[in-house]
Amino acid sequence: MRDEWFCEMKMNKKVMALMILAIIALAGLNMYGRRFGRDEGFGEKYESNCEDVSSSFILHPSSFKMAAPDSASEKSPTGSTTLQSDSADSNKQPAGPSTNSKTWREAEPSYRYSFPRDHASHPPYRIEWWYYTGNLETLDGRRFGYQLTFFRTGVAFEPANPSRWAVRDLFMAHFAISDIDGKEFHSFERINRAGIGWAGAETERYRVWNEDWEARLDGKDHLLKAFEGDYQLDLRLTPEKAEVIHGEDGVSRKGASAGNASHYYSITRLRTGGRLTVGKEVFDVEGASWMDHEFGTSFLEKGQVGWDWFSIQLDDGRDLMLFELRRADGSIDMHSSGTLIDAQGRATHIPSTEFSLTPARPWRSEASGASYPTLWQIEIPRYGLSLSVSAVFSNQELRTPDSTAVTYWEGSVTAEGTSKGSKVQGRGYLEMTGYAGRSMGAILGNDE
Amino acid sequence: MKTYFKLFRQFILRAIARDRARSVITVLGISLGVGVMLAIRLANATSLDAFRAATESIAGETSVQITGATGHFDEMMLSRMEWLRRYGQPSPVITGYARAESGEFLQVMGVDILRDRGLRRYRLLRLNADESEPTARRFLLLLTDPESIILTEKFARPRGLEIGSRISLTMGDARREFTVRGLLLDEGPARALDGNFALMDIAAAQWAFNRLGRLDRLDIKLAPGLDADQIEAEIAARLPAGLQVARPEEQYGQVERMIAAFHFNLNALGSIALLVGLFLIYNTVSISVITRREEVGTLRALGTSRSMVLALFLGEALLMAIIGAGVGIGLGRLMASAAVLATSTTVETFYIATVATESASRHSVGLLEVLLAFGVALPLALFAAAVPALEASRVRPVEAMRGAERLAESFKPSRKYLIVSAALFALGYALSRMDAMNGLPVPGYLAALALMFGGAFLAPNALWLACRASRKLAARSFRGLQVEGLLASANLGGAIPRVSISVAALAVSLGMMIAISIMIGSFRETVSYWVDQTLKADIYARPLVRTRATGEGDIAERSIAAIKADPDVAAIDSFTSHQAVYQGNPITMGAGDFDVLLAHGRLAFKSPADARSRLKQSIGRDAVVVSESFSLRFKKQPGDRVEMETEAGAREFEVAAVYYDYSNNRGIAVMDRATYERHFGRAQPGSLSIYLRPGADAEAVKERLARSIGSEHMLLFRTNASVRREVIRIFDSTFAITYALEAIAITVAGLGVLSTLIALILERRRELSVLNFLGATRGRIRRMIVIEAVLIGTVSQAIGILTGVMLSLVLAYVINVQSFGWTIQYHLPVAFLIQSSLLILAVTALAGLYPAARALKINALRFVREE
Repeated sequence: MRDEWFCEMKMNKKVMALMILAIIALAGLNMYGRRFGRDEGFGEKYESNCEDVSSSFILHPSSFKMAAPDSASEKSPTGSTTLQSDSADSNKQPAGPSTNSKTWREAEPSYRYSFPRDHASHPPYRIEWWYYTGNLETLDGRRFGYQLTFFRTGVAFEPANPSRWAVRDLFMAHFAISDIDGKEFHSFERINRAGIGWAGAETERYRVWNEDWEARLDGKDHLLKAFEGDYQLDLRLTPEKAEVIHGEDGVSRKGASAGNASHYYSITRLRTGGRLTVGKEVFDVEGASWMDHEFGTSFLEKGQVGWDWFSIQLDDGRDLMLFELRRADGSIDMHSSGTLIDAQGRATHIPSTEFSLTPARPWRSEASGASYPTLWQIEIPRYGLSLSVSAVFSNQELRTPDSTAVTYWEGSVTAEGTSKGSKVQGRGYLEMTGYAGRSMGAILGNDE
Repeated sequence: MKTYFKLFRQFILRAIARDRARSVITVLGISLGVGVMLAIRLANATSLDAFRAATESIAGETSVQITGATGHFDEMMLSRMEWLRRYGQPSPVITGYARAESGEFLQVMGVDILRDRGLRRYRLLRLNADESEPTARRFLLLLTDPESIILTEKFARPRGLEIGSRISLTMGDARREFTVRGLLLDEGPARALDGNFALMDIAAAQWAFNRLGRLDRLDIKLAPGLDADQIEAEIAARLPAGLQVARPEEQYGQVERMIAAFHFNLNALGSIALLVGLFLIYNTVSISVITRREEVGTLRALGTSRSMVLALFLGEALLMAIIGAGVGIGLGRLMASAAVLATSTTVETFYIATVATESASRHSVGLLEVLLAFGVALPLALFAAAVPALEASRVRPVEAMRGAERLAESFKPSRKYLIVSAALFALGYALSRMDAMNGLPVPGYLAALALMFGGAFLAPNALWLACRASRKLAARSFRGLQVEGLLASANLGGAIPRVSISVAALAVSLGMMIAISIMIGSFRETVSYWVDQTLKADIYARPLVRTRATGEGDIAERSIAAIKADPDVAAIDSFTSHQAVYQGNPITMGAGDFDVLLAHGRLAFKSPADARSRLKQSIGRDAVVVSESFSLRFKKQPGDRVEMETEAGAREFEVAAVYYDYSNNRGIAVMDRATYERHFGRAQPGSLSIYLRPGADAEAVKERLARSIGSEHMLLFRTNASVRREVIRIFDSTFAITYALEAIAITVAGLGVLSTLIALILERRRELSVLNFLGATRGRIRRMIVIEAVLIGTVSQAIGILTGVMLSLVLAYVINVQSFGWTIQYHLPVAFLIQSSLLILAVTALAGLYPAARALKINALRFVREE
């Protein structure tokens, strides 16, 4: 699979050039990273090893959104590589021993996960996000979808300024409720620096918060809270499957070079119960959620304009994650892939060659002018899966001018189809980006 | 109507044109009065508008502000105020001033742009048209580096600064280099201080201003639909101790109160000029009536009605008032800038100084000012002209034809005027015992007014006495002056009612001048004595730039250590202060080292008698020494208790002593440093008093300290002598405006004497002609008229000195105390009084020369023929 990858890579000179630069950058960072691992005692598990990187590669597209600050920092005032570095900066920096500067750590193979510690924050890495979506239902059958996402992006590795307000990380969060029966979508965003503790992510135990939005661990359960006026969420999530670690050897590769990667895992099914406040009404709800957590450094893929990402929980106990990356020329990037998790939690990688996605039923957003497909046909012949995924209602578009400045569609979907001939149903979430405004690639390439 | 204008043109306009000098003087008098009045009004409006605009543009959409007792507070208190979110997102703010190398000041605001964009509008200059407004995150990333700063386009453009330029700014005692990361368009806070505004990240601002861990305030924009008053009360009830909630407008109100007293004083002085202007109108119209008596008679004989005659002379007054007010508007506009400057230095609010002077030059005269100018000048002019105009209307046709033209009846000394005088003096005394109204010395000024009128009513009797005295004097004098003296005395004595008015006006002006001079003289004496007594340290140090308007602590520990290390330095008394609010009024809270003060320094205590031992006892206790102005304003005596807001909430302090202070009229409360730090937290000093070992050369030590500390920590060292010079200089410049007003008043009054004499001479044309015909030489006539002028001057000056001394007592002990709260050691400048008397005699003698020349031009033959 990896050979295939390289073959196709050659066809794209831009990607190739980027890869080479990334490799050079990585060489320096790699050496530094090892030093950091020892000096800071962040844990042996961060020690790198030089084993060959595996072919398995899963990328949660959301991380692309978060690549934005990386490139932003290229223009950021410091301009100092001692405080920060990103792919763009490292391009300018000659590769070589940079052991006297502290900087962000690259994701490297041989990362050994340890839970629950790894739910918590990983400050040596620049980008980190925690991502919850779920479909909920009241006792009398009223359906809701929700999304609660916390982002942490590093700005300055070690700010020179001793002030508490000095910005090491920026914390952003998105919160959305889809009132499926009411066909109403409510979304909110937050952006904060840590300051005196307005936002943050703890390192020892899992707790990430942005003002009064919070996700934390209580025993094995995940507790989610988000309050925004009349829209509130207070949920307890109990994992029904173990963490699925994407990629191989603890690292999920994003590009051709060894360092362009992240650490990425999911809990694909969490039994969920709690309370939702929607408008003036309060609902006791139950259902299933999906959690993703990824941390790593920057990864830029120029030429990619956006992606379509699916997380589907099937009624036969299996969970499916799929995404495709759309290129500027209209083609589908070969980095697209997926994972199928069986009822027992065993994961199988699905390369881009093994599935197809067919969009239909476009819906045009009045607010952004973007047109999103709201019906998708998924075909995975190898497993005999044929699913028709449709949005529970059309308008589930998030516009986040204040935090990530990205407009995207993230909403509840239902799936119907067959698995090796027998009927199968499911619910899930669909994320579609790059349909509005500047192309994702351009945004990633320039600041936002 | 048509006849009126025809008559007006022939009868009035022609006369005005013929007698240009007189007309010009009158118009000038009115325009000066109107000008001064407008200038003060404009200056007032300009200062306040500028401050309001600056406050508003800085406040943005802030509905309520939370501040600490010391003007700042521990940032960790925020974590106890999560509940604030219910009302709106709080945005923490750091503000301060920075000095560019050019010497210009910038207001620096440090904010968390992620939050603050909800409150204030920052629009960045975009280099490409297609660039969209930066997102909050991108904006933040522009600022996160500690050396990043965003300036306004208005500031950067003319100074050749652009994005990427380096700029060196002095903040407190440190100079720092910054890189310009963006330019703000002229909107929102960028408009404050006419573009002298800089935006920083809150972290960078904390670091640069040496305020790590502290916040100056929290600005909150309330969620829509919330009632600000109610929320303010709710927040106030829940705030942790040591924090206060206020509306941004309140800050403006405090400044308004601060300036109000000062401007009230200016306005009162300015109105004198207007009064003199009105006196001139009276005089001019009188002259007009006298000179045209025959013509009036002719008009009446030809059938012109009385009301028409009245209207003609009133029309003359109106015309002059209109022209005078018109010129006055322009004049006021010019004088406004000077007045603003005076206000700004007096109010000692740097904030206003910078803005107001900039905007004063651009401040235009609005419709309101025009209406005011005419609205004041025209009715008063009509009022002033009414007496002579009525007189003219009463001229009987036959009388005029016959040439009988005595306007003034002869005067018999009467008790009537003396009784009125005495009553007014008594009223003045009673008023001077009254308290200030709303902090404004209204009764004081009313007392001054009563005294002035009391003095004015002395004029007829005084003049009569003077004429008698001079007649006797002349009778006994040598031949050369005998006849002239006798004639002059008789002339004046025969025209007492008319001359009295001139004398009264002149006496009032002179009285004002004398009063103000006495007060300034006394004040200056007092201050220099005080400076002598209290300025004991050898060297004073303060940061080059005060980062806050109120002189917050800014001298770094390392600078103090370096000064202490100097072998010649014996002790340092450091002074820290912050602006506080006591009973709704801004005051200054300070901290000093009482030990050092007791050992080396000296404070001039007002009370109690054992102040020094009280001061010693107060160390370590919750006690304050307060300035005299504080004591007077808030009626606090030693032993009383005052409640002050501290970091931990309201605390009571005992007033240990009251000391004299002339540096601040808002009131100061000082406590020992240890006490201060216990209640307000640690604070770096804002100024140092350095005591040297005996025998050390202050100048040399100053040079050495400046060399060793100077360049890095921008401290300004001053020796004792130069501080004294500076104090007196500031003092003198503060009072410059009063001198200026004085000069105006005296000039206008001098013109008054001139026109009075002209009127008298015109009235006495026949007598003068006869004198001339009978062989009086030109020299004789000139001498006679000069003697008349000197007589007028003498009487005026005598009444002036009397009322002046009384006025000065009111100024020093009533008005000053009510508006500044300072004790003035009364000091009668005898030399000055003698000198000014001689000056007045000289000026009046000179003023007599022109009327004398006019008298000599009279066509004697014509009048004699008539006789």
